[in-house]
Amino acid sequence: MKFFSILKKELREMLNMQMILMLVFLVVVMYSMSGFVDSAIDESMEESAEIVLCDKDNTDFSKSVIRFIEHPTAETEADNEVKLITLESDDYAAELKRLDKKSFVIIPEGFTDKINNGEQAELIYVSKMTSFSTMSNMNAGSETAVAYIEAAVKSAIFTNKVQLGKLSENEVTQINSPITIKENTIVGDKSSEISQMILYSSVFGQTLLLPLVVYMLILLGSQSMINAVTAEKLDKTLETLLSAPVSRLSVLSAKMLAAAIVALINAAVYMVGMNNMTTAASGAVPEEYKKYAAELGISFGLKYYLLIGIQMLLSTIIALSLAMILGAFAKNVKSSQTLLMPILFLTIIPFMAAEFIDISSLPGAIKYLLYAIPFTHTFMASDTVTFSKTSLYVGGLIYQAVFLMVCVIAAIKIFTTDKIVTASENTSSRRKRKKHSDN
Amino acid sequence: MENEIVLSVKGLSKQYKKGVYASQDVTFDIKKGEIFALIGPNGAGKTTTIRMIATLLTPTEGDALVGGHSVTEEPDKVRKCLTYLPDEAGAYKNMTGRKYLQFMADIYADNKSQAAEFVKRAEEICALGDRLDDKAESYSRGMIRKLLLARTIMPHPVVAILDEPTSGLDIINALEIRRMIRTLAADGMSFLLSSHNMLEIEYVSDRVGIIANGHLLETGAPKELLEKYGAQNLEEVFERVVKNNEVL
Ligand SMILES: Nc1ncnc2c1ncn2[C@@H]1O[C@H](COP(=O)(O)OP(=O)(O)OP(=O)(O)O)[C@@H](O)[C@H]1O
Ligand SMILES: [Mg+2]
Repeated sequence: MKFFSILKKELREMLNMQMILMLVFLVVVMYSMSGFVDSAIDESMEESAEIVLCDKDNTDFSKSVIRFIEHPTAETEADNEVKLITLESDDYAAELKRLDKKSFVIIPEGFTDKINNGEQAELIYVSKMTSFSTMSNMNAGSETAVAYIEAAVKSAIFTNKVQLGKLSENEVTQINSPITIKENTIVGDKSSEISQMILYSSVFGQTLLLPLVVYMLILLGSQSMINAVTAEKLDKTLETLLSAPVSRLSVLSAKMLAAAIVALINAAVYMVGMNNMTTAASGAVPEEYKKYAAELGISFGLKYYLLIGIQMLLSTIIALSLAMILGAFAKNVKSSQTLLMPILFLTIIPFMAAEFIDISSLPGAIKYLLYAIPFTHTFMASDTVTFSKTSLYVGGLIYQAVFLMVCVIAAIKIFTTDKIVTASENTSSRRKRKKHSDN
Repeated sequence: MENEIVLSVKGLSKQYKKGVYASQDVTFDIKKGEIFALIGPNGAGKTTTIRMIATLLTPTEGDALVGGHSVTEEPDKVRKCLTYLPDEAGAYKNMTGRKYLQFMADIYADNKSQAAEFVKRAEEICALGDRLDDKAESYSRGMIRKLLLARTIMPHPVVAILDEPTSGLDIINALEIRRMIRTLAADGMSFLLSSHNMLEIEYVSDRVGIIANGHLLETGAPKELLEKYGAQNLEEVFERVVKNNEVL
């Protein structure tokens, strides 16, 4: 009995109205987000699943291969739609841009001849890297095309040659792997002969590290800020400071600066720690891959870190000023934790989104919804800096600066007026007190 | 010189919500070296009045002059003249008492040597001895109050404002703090106190103001008020003052 009374009291304490409202908010956000994410993923899946082919060989055999992709013989396999293109030049970067495609496969001239001569035939596979996000680095369509072509060639060789009897050594090799694939990855207008998947996995560690650091920075920073403000309010040391001969702006800016410094120290420690981990991991990445990456302009040099650093700093300061404003409304330590939830969500949503999808390629509404979250631009910074999405980077920066300005003005408003003293008084507790005095 | 008015409160009113006065048309003066106490029950408007004088809240109407400076027009100058000890205040938990005094001295002093002087004075006043080197989180309520009182006194403010300075303290600690206040007032410091304990305030203050429902109903020296209302103590005075005003 006694146990249950205590349990009931504990539950009532933990499941207060604020918490419940937050949960409802959370469910609504997650629910609507999941709808968005579904459609976003569908969209990028669709794009990546598109089969784009250029038949430069243009023989009966190559045409039959394409028909085979369109209507696979096995009954379990569905028909595919193949988009046939013609190239105007060998500048793959320019062609991808002109055609507005993410990747395509070329059946080069002489493909059929090589197969007939019993040699390994070459396919050219061109893909464009526009983001470090996982989904955007999948080109399911082209992978499918390559697989079908290989299957078609194998079966052709089989029917044509094996039935004739003896096979030469070359012909055995040919049957084992009838085609070789020459992969080209495009970044911007640069092209390099490396597989996108290999390139992606060789930089994966690097690009994973940064968002994590940003995430930690924002959370740790706003947590310590909200705790500091709440403690100062509850102990009334803030009232003492505000009645003392010191400008309120210095009280405010000292707090911000201190929190920013602590956040930066945290960031540095995380960076060093994570960097050790990733260099250990990328030690396995051969030097030549790094060379290819550099050729494509994917390098993590000073300029990269500087541009990302500016982004990180802005996001951190925005988080700090938001936490400061929220802290002004905390009426106890528990409520300050609940108040932190919005920041948590504004951080985790773009963090997860940027990890998996190229936000800039999302459909309108959801894209701008994500852009409206100031932290999104920092999670995208790795992409925008590397893949020369300059206007996105600059636009994000300007948006963040404006957002920050609004936050700072709000913080100043709160800290230099009655609000900082009166905001703590929770309406319901005030009403209760009023009732007492009425009785 | 003795009759110099250091704090002059003129028609101070505050509405947190439109139409609801937490304090209304509060008017009183405090002279140099005087101890003035606002007394009234919980929710009477003591803290509200004090916060307006301490420049933490902007008055809805009225003004107060601290050392001749208006709280509404020159709050920066007012902040140089007064110190404020909020009710139920604490110190920074992970600072030692001494560090706290040094920190606050830096805020109130104009230069290093003055700050050192403030700290020395505060260390003497609070009489915490070696415990000053312990973190404030290990202090008892009485020790915290002494530390904060010493902090409030150390910069020689024109007016020291203490909201409920003895609430929650035992008899000995409360007595010590009242004595401290009396000694300092004798040296010329002025005090604005608040309390809902009307009996103890009788012993410490030169004049009291009775406040209820946001209205300052009566001011005067405790002796005068006892005579005027033919009462045994301030509690009885309070009861009668409130009754008289209800009739009106
Ligand atoms: N921030 C606020 N917002 C709205 N109303 C408030 C606020 N602070 C105080 N009040 C109301 O103003 C009135 C006066 O409160 P105040 O704190 O000044 O009383 P007090 O005399 O200091 O009481 P106590 O002895 O309990 O400290 C009360 O009715 C209180 O509920
Ligand atoms: Mg009060």
